Amino acid sequence: MSVVVGTVLLVVAVIFFVLQPMLSGRRASLHREMDEPTEAESRQRFALLALRDVEYDHATGKLDEVDYRVLRGELAAEALTALERVNSEAAARLSGAPSGLEDEIARLRSGLRSGTTCAACGSGNDEGSSFCAYCGAPLRAAAGGPSSHGSPSGTA
Amino acid sequence: MNVLGELALWIALPVALLGTVLGFVAGRHQRGDLQLGAERSVYAVFGLTILASAGIISNFLNDRFEYLYTASYSNRELDVFYKVAGLWSGQRGSLLFWLLFLMLFSSICVWTNRNKNREFMPYVVGILGAVASFFLTILLFADVNPYEKLGFTPANGQGLNPQLQSYWMTIHPPMLYMGFTSFTVPFAFAIAALVSGRLDSRWIEVTRRWILLSWFFLAIGIVLGMRWAYEELGWGGYWFWDPVENASLLPWLSATAFLHSIQIQESRGMLRVWNMFLVILTFTLTIFATFLTRSGLIESVHSFAQELKIAYIFLSFLFVIVASGAVLILWRLPELKSDNQIESFLSREAAFLFNNLMLLGVLFAVLWGTLFPLISEGLTGEKISVGPPFFNRVNIPIGLILLALTGVGPVIAWRRASKQNIKKSFTVPVGVGLAVAGGLFAIGVRHGYALATFGISSFVMAVIVIEFFKGTRARARIENENWAIAFAHLIARNRRRWGGYVVHAGVVVMFSGIAGSSFNVNIRQTLEPGESAVIPSPLGHEYKLTYEGMSTTSATASNSNNNFAFQLVALLRVENDGKQLPTLTTEKRGYIAQDQPTTEVGIRSSFLEDLYVILSDVADLRSAIMNEPDAQTATFTFMVNPLVGWIWYGGMTVALGGLIGLWPSVSGAPVRAPVLSSARTREPVPVGAAGD
Repeated sequence: MSVVVGTVLLVVAVIFFVLQPMLSGRRASLHREMDEPTEAESRQRFALLALRDVEYDHATGKLDEVDYRVLRGELAAEALTALERVNSEAAARLSGAPSGLEDEIARLRSGLRSGTTCAACGSGNDEGSSFCAYCGAPLRAAAGGPSSHGSPSGTA
Repeated sequence: MNVLGELALWIALPVALLGTVLGFVAGRHQRGDLQLGAERSVYAVFGLTILASAGIISNFLNDRFEYLYTASYSNRELDVFYKVAGLWSGQRGSLLFWLLFLMLFSSICVWTNRNKNREFMPYVVGILGAVASFFLTILLFADVNPYEKLGFTPANGQGLNPQLQSYWMTIHPPMLYMGFTSFTVPFAFAIAALVSGRLDSRWIEVTRRWILLSWFFLAIGIVLGMRWAYEELGWGGYWFWDPVENASLLPWLSATAFLHSIQIQESRGMLRVWNMFLVILTFTLTIFATFLTRSGLIESVHSFAQELKIAYIFLSFLFVIVASGAVLILWRLPELKSDNQIESFLSREAAFLFNNLMLLGVLFAVLWGTLFPLISEGLTGEKISVGPPFFNRVNIPIGLILLALTGVGPVIAWRRASKQNIKKSFTVPVGVGLAVAGGLFAIGVRHGYALATFGISSFVMAVIVIEFFKGTRARARIENENWAIAFAHLIARNRRRWGGYVVHAGVVVMFSGIAGSSFNVNIRQTLEPGESAVIPSPLGHEYKLTYEGMSTTSATASNSNNNFAFQLVALLRVENDGKQLPTLTTEKRGYIAQDQPTTEVGIRSSFLEDLYVILSDVADLRSAIMNEPDAQTATFTFMVNPLVGWIWYGGMTVALGGLIGLWPSVSGAPVRAPVLSSARTREPVPVGAAGD
């Protein structure tokens, strides 16, 4: 009897343990994290490491002056090319995809402009409201003049 | 506990399969929720495997002989130490032990990557789950379930093979198994890179420590195995090209090749296909090694089983790995193109490539020598054994070339080296090598391979010492540090390079130790108590060993181990050129539940040579055990093994070098870009996290 109970308990525990995150709707990230190096960053790092080796080989007399200059030039160029790619990728990331924070700022701004955002507490309100539904302060549209876009409570 | 343990295995298989499917589906359809489930399944299988392993150990500790596995490898009197080690003393348990380590490393891999390398992880988890499923399938369906019951309960177990009752037993197999299993992680990442299409060097960067870790465990495991053979098997040698020894050597050889070739991919963007090939080859060889040692296919000291079902399952799995690996590489071939080409044959890339070819040369020679008896048996029905002469004839010359390359690789520059620099770098080391070989020749050493080994070893050692010296001097000058600090910083800043050099130094010492065996002295002599044998050492002095007689202890009197039936100890007084040395003993032992008596050798080690004494034969064993004074005649084998200790010193040095390479670097500390030594430099020097 105790064997059967133990078996059932073990099976249930394992099933729950494995399925629990799926049932609770949690998701694991499947994308590269921001702090991980991109391919360009790895290349830059390897070029720098190779540059360090060349410096070491030169300092210990394994590379003569001519080869050293040529190799250093090539590697520095490689590292710089990679660095440019890193920078342009970073710039593209910043400009290309507006983050949630920027969305939020944009939404607040337009709300303030149209008068639906409460100047006192920052909460958003339905269009046409006279008072903030959250803190009770009069909204600017209600206190101010008539709407410029035909909206009864909006101001330009 | 035992019921729960067996049950855990049955639950683990569907969970592992589920994890595999979830992982691949999560990767294919980018489903983060399924991925969490897949990762949880890895932890769950790990937990269940712990439960199953604990059950087996509890069976051993509680003498549960109704289980076939416990009855076959234990008896009531067995030391507790070996009862715990019972988990890996036979085929069935050791397959479970393999799975236990696999799941340990899988769990570490999943846990440490829970917030990084996420694009790889679904496939990584899928592969880890698939390998776990394979081993669970073997355990449950290939007649090797360690929980199989006998149907009756014998009064006592059959006992453990006496040769396995040695403390090396508790450490050597776990090391090898850790080496085998931890290589699954780099393999999983390589496959994940192929499937996901992120084919830059990221997967190598992520798994480099895993590769080194696996290589490190294998190296230690192999050297410990040699030491075990030397102490326990009682024939004075440490390597016999036994199939099981070969099996552990094969993945180590390809892992060594891989450790070198990934450096070319990282620094030069070359050899991408080759590295994929090597990682798949190494993983295949770890499975193959397990197959050879644990399927009973080849009879040797280590293999006990005879079942064929397990062989078919193993072969199918090996086929799946090789075939899917090949298909994936072919599919991604256009994206695995090299960024660069080898510019000159006088370059580090070329030296590394040559090193790879040589290592694979040894690998295939060993593989062929190991498999040939099987192939010939399959084709002609006659088993032709391939012995040490074949392996030595092929591998010694290649080994010497490899040894020489360890001296060439570090000194030669990347991309191209000028003749002038080669001359400058090699003059002194080559001079040292020639001087040592010439000096040895002058004092009468005529063994060709030994001369070559000592000469090349001295050359490589000179290279390494000069490298350390020059590096420290350069650093002391550039950074204005004193020499001790410059030396410490030198190693700390580039652990990989300097750790690698330390490994090379260890390999050189090991090679010299192996070459020492060319001068072994081996004398067999029958002695009565009071008689002496005179053994000349190749180093010029003489040992005189006087047999003083035998003493017996019976089972009850022996207090150290109650598993002995008897212990017959021969005492020998040792003199070295007339100088008295401590007494040596060598034994015959009988174990409870084992018929064949075993031999314990007497070893007296010094830095330059070992005196090794074997009690080969006792004329009248039965009377000797009864302590009858007339039955003391004994035959001894006396050996002098020059430089054998160097193998262990070299092994320790290799381990030290591995540790230097593995030691985590100070995280987050930005490493400065190289200081350019030319004052005319104007271009800005990028400062990045060029840490290593």
